[in-house]
Amino acid sequence: MPGCNIIEEGKHVLVRLPSEAVKVVLLKGDSCISLGKFGTFSVSGVLGYKFGQSFEILENKLVKPVCSLIDDSKPLLLEDSNTFSENNQNLINTGSLVQKLSTQDIEELKKQGKGQDIINQIIAGHDSFGKKTQYSQEKYLKRKQEKFLRRFTIDYLGASEMLQYYRLKDPQRVLDMSNESLGLILSYANIRPGGNYILVDETGGVLLYAMLERMENEGSILVAHENEHPNLIALNYSNYSPELLEKMVSNLNWLQFLEADTQRPQWNNYPQEKIDRLTPPRRSHYLRKKRAADRVNNILDTVEQGNFDGLIYASTLYPPTLIPRILDTLGGSRPVVIYSPFKEILSETFHVLQKDYRILAPSIYETRVRQYQTIIGRIHPLMTTKGGGGYVLHATRVIPKEGGVTAVGRGIKSKRLKLDDPKVETRQPLE
Amino acid sequence: MSFLYYKDVIEEEDLVMAFISRNDIKPMIVKSGETLNTRYGVFPHDLMIGARYGEQIASAKGYGFIHLLQPTPELWTLSLPHRTQIVYTFDSSYVVQRLRVLPGSRVIEAGTGSGSFSHAFARTIHSNGRLFSYEFHKPRYEEAKGEFECHKLPNITLTHRDVCTDGFKVDGVNVDGDAVFLDLPAPWEAIEHLDEVVAKDRRVSICCFSPCIEQVVKTIEALTAKNWNGIEMVEVSGRKWEAHREMVRDVDEAVARLKDIKKRAVAGLERKRKLNQTSDEFENEDIDIQTTEENDISHKEPAGKGETDLKPKSDQNTKDRGYNPFGKGMRIREGDPAYNWINVTRSEPEVKSHTSYLTFAYRNQ
Repeated sequence: MPGCNIIEEGKHVLVRLPSEAVKVVLLKGDSCISLGKFGTFSVSGVLGYKFGQSFEILENKLVKPVCSLIDDSKPLLLEDSNTFSENNQNLINTGSLVQKLSTQDIEELKKQGKGQDIINQIIAGHDSFGKKTQYSQEKYLKRKQEKFLRRFTIDYLGASEMLQYYRLKDPQRVLDMSNESLGLILSYANIRPGGNYILVDETGGVLLYAMLERMENEGSILVAHENEHPNLIALNYSNYSPELLEKMVSNLNWLQFLEADTQRPQWNNYPQEKIDRLTPPRRSHYLRKKRAADRVNNILDTVEQGNFDGLIYASTLYPPTLIPRILDTLGGSRPVVIYSPFKEILSETFHVLQKDYRILAPSIYETRVRQYQTIIGRIHPLMTTKGGGGYVLHATRVIPKEGGVTAVGRGIKSKRLKLDDPKVETRQPLE
Repeated sequence: MSFLYYKDVIEEEDLVMAFISRNDIKPMIVKSGETLNTRYGVFPHDLMIGARYGEQIASAKGYGFIHLLQPTPELWTLSLPHRTQIVYTFDSSYVVQRLRVLPGSRVIEAGTGSGSFSHAFARTIHSNGRLFSYEFHKPRYEEAKGEFECHKLPNITLTHRDVCTDGFKVDGVNVDGDAVFLDLPAPWEAIEHLDEVVAKDRRVSICCFSPCIEQVVKTIEALTAKNWNGIEMVEVSGRKWEAHREMVRDVDEAVARLKDIKKRAVAGLERKRKLNQTSDEFENEDIDIQTTEENDISHKEPAGKGETDLKPKSDQNTKDRGYNPFGKGMRIREGDPAYNWINVTRSEPEVKSHTSYLTFAYRNQ
């Protein structure tokens, strides 16, 4: 992918900290970026490296590249068997007394800089460190590294990273969508270059961004929304040019979408001589208005034409009221993918879609990723994890046979007698 | 229509997924003169040529139907001929997202297996990306090769090779991979061969897919030894839910029904007593009669007595059962508007509770 390989000036990037916190920052050439207690670095020091590179903050806001965020390349402790215990029998909780260094001492050390030194001194000042088991020592060390190592990683700010950033900060803003749910949506919606999709996006544009990533400058996305303007704030941090977005993304509110006949802008072109006679400000006003009217009319034309390649829906508008009204704009054998943080909403939607002959085989999916601790000898799932993550309903838009068709199944004989009646069942019984 | 491009009308030689039922999806190449035989009828391919994708078509006899769908990697995963255990959509969709596989990506996949994941990779990397897929089992390699050609996936380079011994190099091509997916019995043996084929100018990500924890341990050790970092291991658990309706049964109505049963029992007793009196029989059979009456209401009636069998079935629902708020003994369609329902969800009867562990790592050298 051009543009997502090398750390360059002027881009928004994701900064990962040892504490597992993430930040979105803009890399301005001659500026400095503060990471709070982890220190401050000057942007020029990180430019030119590959995305995914980790750095350690040195003095004077300089950085040096390091191989990873947490120093796990070398053995954490000396292999001296006298420095740890077999079990925690002799480990007695004496609270803060166990540490010889005071908070003030540690603050002093932090001002002096080097993270590894602080950790070494903290361990030296820890009375019962030797009474911990080796495992517990490693765990302790890792915790201290997360706190004091002045390291960070710069990652490309892709859709997954953007989603992670928002989900940690305020899950509601992205409808509590997990990365695995996002991946599932994009697969089931069959997002690929050249597609023309309808999108309803209440994740602030994160979903739109994820779709654009998979379309690589080809195809179009029509964003339908319920306000005067769509909220696509996440795109401000994306590295897509306004021209590209203009080319690929258009938007329409539900009034325009659902009542296109009455909402079309009525536009009368002025004759050329009249335009020529306009004063410059009035002329530009006229042209702006004309462009706006043309834009809406063009979008409404595409809606009327229909045959969209997919409907992707992540909105708090109640889907059973909305989906049936826009199904006809989809082409045959194209996916409908609805995301909701709540299974109940999708279950209601499922029942409505199941009765609709334009829909085939709705299914509700739940996907959850469970992360494991990867220390050899002590592999187990993490003790806590983020809840939520949402649910995905997938169905396929189909074209029912005109006049209906009799299903084969229970009662076929009696139904066959009634074949003249066009209202007979057009569904095969579910397996 | 293909796995890479959209199309609206079915033409001869197109790959079409015939959706017969949820558990029966048949991929087929449409050829004039051929027919598709299903238990819902016979469908001549000539009915399909010229039809729109997504169309419902009736069998030659005019009843029974199927839907004609465009192929997608997800449908293919449900319908493909299994040669090995396959990677399902819950796992594949997450791996694609996590490895940042996008149009133009250069992906390394070993082994090819049944080619389920290959289709998902090929769709997403699209025409300007490339999938390097390796399979060491000759018959599986041959079958996959035929499939990729038949499915018009020119962005896959398939190689017959055991990557654990012979590495990933492909003659005359700079593999330059930026995402690696290893679904092998011993991925740790393949990891050392990756150095010569992964990209040098950008970050490379890897996912090793192994069902056993012992494999994970060896994989982590091999990745660490080869300077891969950011090692994370996860498991994806996916679940499919079905929406149903469950009848809302109010306890007050249950009580009212019990009262009704009791009332009818007493009435029946009265009738019987009068009957007994007129026929000069014994008088003290209260207990016996009562139990029989109750059994009658709750258990025996629905089965129907001799006479109901002679009548059409629909009479089963019109027979007087007294106060019957929940439709006991009758066949009630889920969601029947005469009753109260609550929307519920139920997971599939059998869940894939473990597929494999996914070990991710990155490298920046």
